[in-house]
Amino acid sequence: MKIEVKSWKDPVLLAAVAPLAVVMIAFFLVPLVMTAVLTFQTTQYYRLAWSWDLKIWTEVFSKPHYWTIMLRTVVMALVCVAICIAIAFPAAYALATRLKTFKTQIQILIIFAFLTDAVLKTFGWILILDKNGVANWLLMHVGFPPDALNLLFTPAGTMIGMVYNLVAYPMFTIYLSLVRIDRDLVLAAYDAGASRLRTFFEVTLPLSRPGLYSGAVLVFVLSLGAFLEPKVLGGGTAPLASELIRQSFETRVNWPLGAALTMVLIVTGALMLGLSSAFALRRRSAPGRPA
Amino acid sequence: MKKGTAETMTGTASRRSVLKGMGGLGLGIAAASSGFLAWRRSASAAESLNYMCWEGYNAPSILDPFQKNNDVSIAIDLITDSAGGFAKLAAGASRDFDLVSSDSPWIQRMGPAGFCRFIDDKDFAAQYEDFYPQFRAPFVPLQFEGKATGLPTRWGWVGPTVNTKFDKLETWSSYAPVFDPAYRDKICLLDWGDWPIMPLALYAGVNPYEELDQAALDEVRKVLRAAFKNTRAIVADLAVAQKGLLDGSFRALIGGGTYCTSSLRIKGHDYIQSIVPEPKDGLKQGIIWMEATGLIDNGKNTQVAADFLKYIVSPDVAKQLAITDATCNLVPNSKAEALFSEEEKKALQMDYMWTAWDNSQFHTVAPNIDDMLAIWQEELAAR
Repeated sequence: MKIEVKSWKDPVLLAAVAPLAVVMIAFFLVPLVMTAVLTFQTTQYYRLAWSWDLKIWTEVFSKPHYWTIMLRTVVMALVCVAICIAIAFPAAYALATRLKTFKTQIQILIIFAFLTDAVLKTFGWILILDKNGVANWLLMHVGFPPDALNLLFTPAGTMIGMVYNLVAYPMFTIYLSLVRIDRDLVLAAYDAGASRLRTFFEVTLPLSRPGLYSGAVLVFVLSLGAFLEPKVLGGGTAPLASELIRQSFETRVNWPLGAALTMVLIVTGALMLGLSSAFALRRRSAPGRPA
Repeated sequence: MKKGTAETMTGTASRRSVLKGMGGLGLGIAAASSGFLAWRRSASAAESLNYMCWEGYNAPSILDPFQKNNDVSIAIDLITDSAGGFAKLAAGASRDFDLVSSDSPWIQRMGPAGFCRFIDDKDFAAQYEDFYPQFRAPFVPLQFEGKATGLPTRWGWVGPTVNTKFDKLETWSSYAPVFDPAYRDKICLLDWGDWPIMPLALYAGVNPYEELDQAALDEVRKVLRAAFKNTRAIVADLAVAQKGLLDGSFRALIGGGTYCTSSLRIKGHDYIQSIVPEPKDGLKQGIIWMEATGLIDNGKNTQVAADFLKYIVSPDVAKQLAITDATCNLVPNSKAEALFSEEEKKALQMDYMWTAWDNSQFHTVAPNIDDMLAIWQEELAAR
């Protein structure tokens, strides 16, 4: 197949990419630059003062608590990715290979849960995780002591909410990867004498990697911005980065600080994604692995 | 037969779909008509007001009579955070708004921020006359350089909010239980900006409404650190806090006061009470919070905005403002008191209000508020 290489000066190509480029510049790049510019300003009596200095960045780099919260956010996001993938992969695998009869119904149920408002879902978990909630009521009826489950207003509560709200993303990306795997490849592995387990690890898992990566990236990025779950289910006692940013913008009315923390979060997220991409590429190009 | 059934069914379905379609069309026309009428009323109104306010101030029963009687349309911008509302105005939205109803320190701050349309107390003499003596002109908490920035509209007090089914009120005659290991994991702090910080600072012997030195700020840090040890949750949502208080998973709410209480009491939960602790080492431990309504200097400075300010503090409107679906609060208008039923008075703890007033600081602009909020963030991160 011949690949035609087009020049960026090609007017047809420029016309094709122009709308997307305009949207990206207007709604992503410009706000990002404005946010970066904001970090070099100061606030005087709750009003922005245009005075270029490094005061805010000095504060950000000299106060360890900002970094404690950033680190906590990254750790929570990574744990959330791991749990989501651990739940989503078997579910997507079952959906793609085993539950073909009820596939549509199950997909509709997942989509329904996915599209239900996150606020509603998160507050709904209070009724389940509360000391006097459904979970404790059930446990009590099977012989556990009252208040056996104490997850509401804990980091575990936050994690439950985050996983519940985000698990549908990797479920769909992995499912799409799995259904695109050529069944003949799996059968060929069986014909060659591979066991079910070996076929899974040598054929299915590597070929579902694009779905795994894209699902993981989606969950990671969205977890970095988790706001509702730590506040509602975590009880606000272990705030994550988005709450820190909210406090800076709203409660402290310190927009430059909020902007600086936003930039830190964006850069941290981008760095993590860059590192994981580099790691994935290295694995793909490792000797003995198919490119 | 099958064909006939199919035809009949098709016919039925067709009629049904036509009827459904007509119904949908009817609803659509109705919605469009009401929207069009609202637009026409808005468009045909002689004047318009842009009003930034908390919930309750936007009730149709409050706004509609004024709009009708004054041929004015009022556009509402609801705020959920006083600081956020102020920041919006300070960022330039003050040019678009005529009035704002918010926490009183943020109304007072409009003075030094340069977008306050100061009011002449003489023009509002009749309104002040209706107020309890404590709120009459010159009302210092709302003044800037001797000029009034607004009028008080709702108030209450901040002290421990307690479920008396679980705790005696005497237990909470001080904030000491917040730090008692017996109350570990049973305290709820309200995540409402500086509201939970101020009472805890007072317990530490620091008056947060005065200029604080480093030693005083260190005391604030210590008391917040100690309070976080017993804190089960820092909750911003009123319903979650109230639910925890009712079922006993929270033994006390700190930083919410009557704002958390009255709506529960009016629904029959009269065992929920907000009290003010006893003075400690001569320092009053309670806090009086107040909402106020101010005019914004937006260049237009219409008379109708000033008229609305008079209207919002009038006895009938004050009574409606006191009892809303979400919260119930006291109002400064003494004439409104006669309009409350006995149940409403009991829900508002009116028999206790002047005791609370006498034992409280007034929630004004705290000079070191940003330092204290930064300490709050730092201690929460280190928890």
